[in-house]
Amino acid sequence: MKHAISHRYRRLASAISVTASAALLLSACAATGASSLTATDSSVAKVVGGASQVKATLKTSGSGDVCALNSTSAKAGPVTFTITNTDSTAITEFELQSDQRIIGEKENLVPGLAAVSFTVTLTGGKYQVICPGATTESQTFTVVGKAASTGNGSVQEALASGITGYTSYVTQEVNNMVSGSIALKNAIDSDDLAAAQKAYAEARPYYERIESDVEGFVLPGFKPTDNAGNLDYLVDMRASNLDPKVGWHGFHAIEKDLFQTKAISQGTKAFATELVANVKKLDELSKTLTYKPEDLANGASGLLEEVQTSKISGEEEAYSHIDLVDFAANIEGAQQSFAYLQDGLKLIDPALTTKITAEFAAVTTLLDKYKDPSSLGGYIRYTAKVKAADAPSLSKAVEALHEDLARIAEKVATA
Amino acid sequence: MADKDDDKIDLSRRGFLGGAGGLAASGLVVGAVAGAAGAFAVATQSPTIAAVAADAHPFYNQPHQAGIQTEPQKYTVFMTYELTTSSRTDVQVLLARWSAAIAQLAKGDTIGSPQPTRPDAVAQDSGEALDLGPEGLTVTLGLGPGVFDDRFGLSARKPTLLEKIPTLPSDQLQPEYTGGDLSLQACANDPQVAYHAIRNLTRMARGTAATLWTVTGFGRASAGPSQQTPRTLLGFKDGTRNIFEDSDLEKWVWTAGDGQAWMKGGSYMVARKIHMNIETWDTDAIGDQQNVFGRTKLEGAPLSGHREHDTPNFTKKDASGDLVIPATSHIALAAHENNGGVKILRRSYNYTEGIDDLGQIDAGLLFIAYMNDPKHFIEMQTKLGSVDRLNEYIKHIGSAVFAVPPAPKQGSFIAADLFA
Repeated sequence: MKHAISHRYRRLASAISVTASAALLLSACAATGASSLTATDSSVAKVVGGASQVKATLKTSGSGDVCALNSTSAKAGPVTFTITNTDSTAITEFELQSDQRIIGEKENLVPGLAAVSFTVTLTGGKYQVICPGATTESQTFTVVGKAASTGNGSVQEALASGITGYTSYVTQEVNNMVSGSIALKNAIDSDDLAAAQKAYAEARPYYERIESDVEGFVLPGFKPTDNAGNLDYLVDMRASNLDPKVGWHGFHAIEKDLFQTKAISQGTKAFATELVANVKKLDELSKTLTYKPEDLANGASGLLEEVQTSKISGEEEAYSHIDLVDFAANIEGAQQSFAYLQDGLKLIDPALTTKITAEFAAVTTLLDKYKDPSSLGGYIRYTAKVKAADAPSLSKAVEALHEDLARIAEKVATA
Repeated sequence: MADKDDDKIDLSRRGFLGGAGGLAASGLVVGAVAGAAGAFAVATQSPTIAAVAADAHPFYNQPHQAGIQTEPQKYTVFMTYELTTSSRTDVQVLLARWSAAIAQLAKGDTIGSPQPTRPDAVAQDSGEALDLGPEGLTVTLGLGPGVFDDRFGLSARKPTLLEKIPTLPSDQLQPEYTGGDLSLQACANDPQVAYHAIRNLTRMARGTAATLWTVTGFGRASAGPSQQTPRTLLGFKDGTRNIFEDSDLEKWVWTAGDGQAWMKGGSYMVARKIHMNIETWDTDAIGDQQNVFGRTKLEGAPLSGHREHDTPNFTKKDASGDLVIPATSHIALAAHENNGGVKILRRSYNYTEGIDDLGQIDAGLLFIAYMNDPKHFIEMQTKLGSVDRLNEYIKHIGSAVFAVPPAPKQGSFIAADLFA
């Protein structure tokens, strides 16, 4: 997830808050609400049971696959879209968008499956029906009149409140990381190897829960290509990826002394002092972070990427073998991001929300097997034997979750 | 995504590439979105030149799935899966999604966009087959016995003949190459096209089914009616007497359903991963090798005749009174004359997987055969496994059996009636 650096700049530079852009959107919709359509137009959806009924049919025709709507407009209020795929193999998704935001979506629309529907409350304005893969992918859908609350408005409100929650979660984790690294430094300074090992295992999860949010920081005055100014490098670099010009720093340099050499040297103490200083810098910089919904989604996906590439392989904690502690922390961090997006995502794609919730549960159930209160960090050591026996099943469970989690960003993106 | 305009069929390679190029370009088209505020652009697909490639096999409205009677393509990627879900609906949705995706892939089209317009979107199609064309791609879907165990409430729908293959004589099956709840046999004339199909279909299965075992076949080892009999890695022609005639297929390959309407017109696939002891075979004298097979090496003629397609004479004796085709030779044991007339359709591929842990070449044959009763294979292999002289040079290390449903109607999916 090293590409997060570019996300970082975008995120830091962003001056528009989510709440503000949601407000702009609502007024834009209201402004375009004026229209000459009347309820007698044949293109206006019929209202049944309090909701306008729109039918969409995905089909193949002589000139390519089409997404046919039986109505291209509706009165403000609840609108139900019912989608049937007669025989199109090119179109498998149906999205309703407003101002580039997805406000309702159905996926896996393939021939032979039953029709599916979703209902959104829409106020007056122009919307787009997007069917990727159709000869005409975008169609305008017009809503006339005013509704008290729009699907889009409530999605944006739910996402905005989720972001507030997530922001304080990160702040709390970074604060804990500062105290955790101070505890580690104190144990090292008192030459107590057992206490230092314990403090190491306790300090690690704070970083692993939020590393996708903080890994792109570059200290002032350094070029992005210079690892000497890259905080993630200085805090979390593994022996396997060392930059010879900058040398080794941070958690894993300490890990080697504590778990392989099993001796605390002056060097270990210097590493610990430096770690505390760098984590404090991280704490300062993280306060400047602002998040968009897609940042939470991409961050969660990034944490799973970390699990797949360095935890399941046992690369992350090569000396202490507490990879399962980091693994659990990565999952927990991803689960927090998801939890804060959940209320908004549920309004956009409830099926996916349910599926991801179940996939998180499957992974955590699998991880629970390895819990051991008497082990460092609360999980058994990830030995070669455990890895050989269980890595494929762990990897497959994470893979299933990752596949779906990776699709959230687009849905919650504020563009 | 290419248009299907029957009036403008262009069978030339150039015509196809034109269509694909149009498709790729359409991903870059920035369409104005009426009424939308902001600069976000949605790709609007411009109608592309109609192109139905000559090397594309139809997917819908065929009596049988493609990839069985289809003349064997040059390459295969065969993958088996275990179902990780306990939900019957998940299985149904996967078969429906796979079907629609296979229909797209067989046309040389993508499964969704390889380059979505929104920066936060994840591409649905990995893209490595773009512009390669269909290359004769067929993807044949099979259902293993596990689909009908007590997990999905489908046990009453099990075709009666679909049973796990028992351990047979000489079997040295390794659990990691054995069984499977689902299988996909992708065959194409470009290995990257077959690989792309399996890669993307596997991704589609995540959360519902996980990979179990796979074999990548680099060379065709069975022939269709207009093809020359190819050679296995033992250097001999094998499968000279493969069946091609519709009448043979009606009699030996297609099933009436075994009590299951959804299987009518389907077949059973037996897949065996057969390791070859390449090093010892290479040092065996030619006379012995020919006696092992019962055929000559160059021509592939039965030892009782002169030409490849001469009917073997299994009773002919030489001057000293010995059978010309030894009774324990491969062809004598496998011949339909000596198996109650039973014939199977073979569709095998040679594979290699590098070097094994003894430092020897790890290679062999992915034996694939289609039949309307897996017992036909079991009986033949019981005999071969017991006395075939070839056993000294091969070992069966992998095995699986699948029910292969008929092709779906347009608007439906493979095995849809199983869930009806």
